[in-house]
Amino acid sequence: MFKELDPILHSQLRLAVMSLLISVKEAEFTFIKEKTNSTAGNLSVQVQKLKEVGYIDVIKQFKDNYPQTTCKITPKGIEAFESYVKALQEYLKV
Amino acid sequence: MSNEKHLSEKESLQLITDMIQKVKNSYHDKGVGPLLWGTVVAIASFVSYLQLEYGFTLPFDIWWIVMCAIIPQIILINQDAKTQKIKRHEDAALNAVWLVYAITIFGLSFFQGTVPSAAEHIMQLNGSQLVNHSINNSKPDQVIQPFTPSFYSMYILIYGFPTLVTGMVKKFWPMTIGAIVAYLLFMISCFTETKYDFLLGGIAALACWFIPGIILRVRYLKQKRGNV
Repeated sequence: MFKELDPILHSQLRLAVMSLLISVKEAEFTFIKEKTNSTAGNLSVQVQKLKEVGYIDVIKQFKDNYPQTTCKITPKGIEAFESYVKALQEYLKV
Repeated sequence: MSNEKHLSEKESLQLITDMIQKVKNSYHDKGVGPLLWGTVVAIASFVSYLQLEYGFTLPFDIWWIVMCAIIPQIILINQDAKTQKIKRHEDAALNAVWLVYAITIFGLSFFQGTVPSAAEHIMQLNGSQLVNHSINNSKPDQVIQPFTPSFYSMYILIYGFPTLVTGMVKKFWPMTIGAIVAYLLFMISCFTETKYDFLLGGIAALACWFIPGIILRVRYLKQKRGNV
């Protein structure tokens, strides 16, 4: 019996965001936008969804008088991501 | 990137791999820090060797250039902090390692600067002094200041420590090799005269920082050109 894939992560942009954040301590919103080739609006919505389920933390602050948004994966997010990858590997028998 | 597209399991796994790779390729050290320190430490070491070999002295202590290099290093750190868009897991640990290294080097310099005169003072209090005595009496006895023989070997040993940690953590083999070279030079320096220790220290600085710095700089410029 295959484990069901996490619907939050099984979406292109949200998975891309989580894959970026899993390999760094934290990343600026502009960096994620650039690497995922997404629009600011769409990315904001998906980041908000990830935040609501507790997979990421979003820190809003000012840097040199400019607003700066930084995203960081949470321990719950790491656990969810690892389970997702494990489930994928089971599907693909990697 | 759209959010609506339905992903197959294979596509999901590919997306994860691609994004991790993108992060990996997105950041390259500019190499300025290692180039700066490799240059100043190598220059100071080689000039120290030349001073001992040819018996000349400069009107200032050449090691002050190493102290002066702290100013551009602070500017570089501030610039990097402003432009860096990601923080990697290993950043804090490596910064701590280099801070400990800087404190250790400062501690060694302090030791080297204070212990000989402190030892001389203690000996004077005990009514004794250090004398260089020729075994076959070919030269008259000469009063000398206490010193630690071949002390620069300790610096060479310490050059290898943060370099090896950085090389291993970042999986950057030129720094790992540089550190191994420094350890070998340290062992050689234990058997050589002080003046040659400076020569070996200069080579260690080139191997640990200058050459890896050039490699990092070339990689960075290549990546920058690729992004234009």
